[in-house]
Amino acid sequence: MKPDDFERYWSQVDQELAQVELAPERTELPLRSTPEGKVYGLRLTSLGGYRIFAYFGIPEGAGPFPVIYRLPHYGSVVHIPPYEERCQYISVALCHRGQRLSDQPFAASYPGLLTHGIESQDGYIYRSIAADGLRVMDYLLTCKEVDSRRISVVGGDLALWTAALRPQAAALFYSPSLFYRALERAQGTQHYPLEEYNDYLRSFPQIREQVVRTLAYFDPLHFAPQVQMPTMLMEESPGAGDELAAALGGPVERYTSHHSSYRDGVSQANWLAGQLQMPAPLLPQHWQ
Amino acid sequence: MSRPDPSTHGTRVVKPADFDTFWDNVLARSDALPLNATLTLDPLRSSEEVEVYEVHYDSLDQVRIAGWYCLPRNRPRPLPARVFYPGYISEPTLPKAHAAQGYATFGVAPRGKLRSHRQFNPGYPGLLTHNIVDPQSYAYLGFYVDAVRVIDFLLQRSEEVDPQRIGVQGSSQGGALTLVAAALRPQIKAASAGAPYLTGVIDAIDLTRTYPYEEINDYLRVHPESREAIARTWSYYDCLNLADRIHCPIIVYIGLQDDVCPPETAYPLMDQLASSEKRLYAYDGHGHDANHYEHDQVVDDFFDAQLELNS
Repeated sequence: MKPDDFERYWSQVDQELAQVELAPERTELPLRSTPEGKVYGLRLTSLGGYRIFAYFGIPEGAGPFPVIYRLPHYGSVVHIPPYEERCQYISVALCHRGQRLSDQPFAASYPGLLTHGIESQDGYIYRSIAADGLRVMDYLLTCKEVDSRRISVVGGDLALWTAALRPQAAALFYSPSLFYRALERAQGTQHYPLEEYNDYLRSFPQIREQVVRTLAYFDPLHFAPQVQMPTMLMEESPGAGDELAAALGGPVERYTSHHSSYRDGVSQANWLAGQLQMPAPLLPQHWQ
Repeated sequence: MSRPDPSTHGTRVVKPADFDTFWDNVLARSDALPLNATLTLDPLRSSEEVEVYEVHYDSLDQVRIAGWYCLPRNRPRPLPARVFYPGYISEPTLPKAHAAQGYATFGVAPRGKLRSHRQFNPGYPGLLTHNIVDPQSYAYLGFYVDAVRVIDFLLQRSEEVDPQRIGVQGSSQGGALTLVAAALRPQIKAASAGAPYLTGVIDAIDLTRTYPYEEINDYLRVHPESREAIARTWSYYDCLNLADRIHCPIIVYIGLQDDVCPPETAYPLMDQLASSEKRLYAYDGHGHDANHYEHDQVVDDFFDAQLELNS
């Protein structure tokens, strides 16, 4: 159930962020730059004064450029944005707090991160991680190389949260991940990372109610009505996203995953190019 | 324009004359080191069905390696065992679900991975090119040995693990480490390698711009004079050159549109594997996922049969 103070909870995060200077620091990584574009390491200050890192690629040529902003999946390592994307777009890949390159002073445990601080909605680590995602959007909106009308957000639930709380994004490519029907899906598996929820509740059954309450602040269904931009919803199986599709606030297209990084990757690249009014995307040689 | 048939690509990988001596010396160094293994029960990760232990053991250069070791409760022992090797950027698997099926399972974190990175941490990107111009100190020397020593650990656990029924598996870098372990530890009974990485490396860097191989292209852009040295280093580490030491039953699966580990590199591997029981599953319409969504069941069935799960 959506908490009564859901909106207040997230506006409080925004208020706290507004009191923190971005303090951007962008340093070229010459080893990763190519003749087609430069790659930078971007450092920003996020919630609680925490410095976070993101890869930031800018193509050669005259900007401003459209943006593909990738929110990370669950794990410690984030790849540099793909070469092909870096040739056409400002391509951004966030390492949220706890992930490598944003792991000072907090280094996340895997497994462990998913339940870190879950006993309180105010102390849950994903409150800060969500703020990290917003922080990069705040930077993009100040950046002269960015065409601020053509920013896309790509990823799992972190991407949805970002799109909901930063309506300036022009498009969202969303694949529901660990926070969608979290405990219900965890009950049916022993595989990590969802098993982290089971581990935690097995050890601390007395605070199940609070865990449910904490997760309600992060439930994609509760964010979905705030997402007003065109959205591509990638579903694991036909119909799996019915509830989400109905809840999303803007125009929704749906795509059932082929469980193929090739077929899903080509579909994503084409959809983003269309939304960002770009010519046909460059694709890896093996995808052509 | 359609791409050429990947099975006809061939390879430029050559095997150095002292290749076997190189690895025999490495294994001798490893064998001289005691494991000094410790096991600590992790109550948070254990369940009614499975005990989960955090394991640490010593490896080359005294680097302490971590892993997850899972044992099913209430099953007759010794058990068949499955080792899960991690991908390049992946965290090591905590293979509790497979333990619940009746296997002893191990998910290893070779050096540089979280929990094994206190003494060695080249980062990501970074691992693939760390000391890449010197085969004697290249990052993958210790990394490969860390993977091999999982098998040594399991062979010491004879009260729990049947030494005749150990299988190894993984995809991408996990596929590469599967090949390495199967080549350097003949006690392994069966192996499954998906989208094998670190195979035909000097071919792969010309076939893709995707990370992690792109790390080598980045390096060569800055150090073009090092191309020959890199080819020489990789001639000692390439899984193609280890493949003729692999005699156990093995399955390999790939995606024909894989932009990360190009499918062209899998065909020379199949040619080189010494196993009499080997099979390649080449999935059209799939990339680096190598159709694991459907193929995982093939892998499970393969190990259930080869390791006689229900015997």
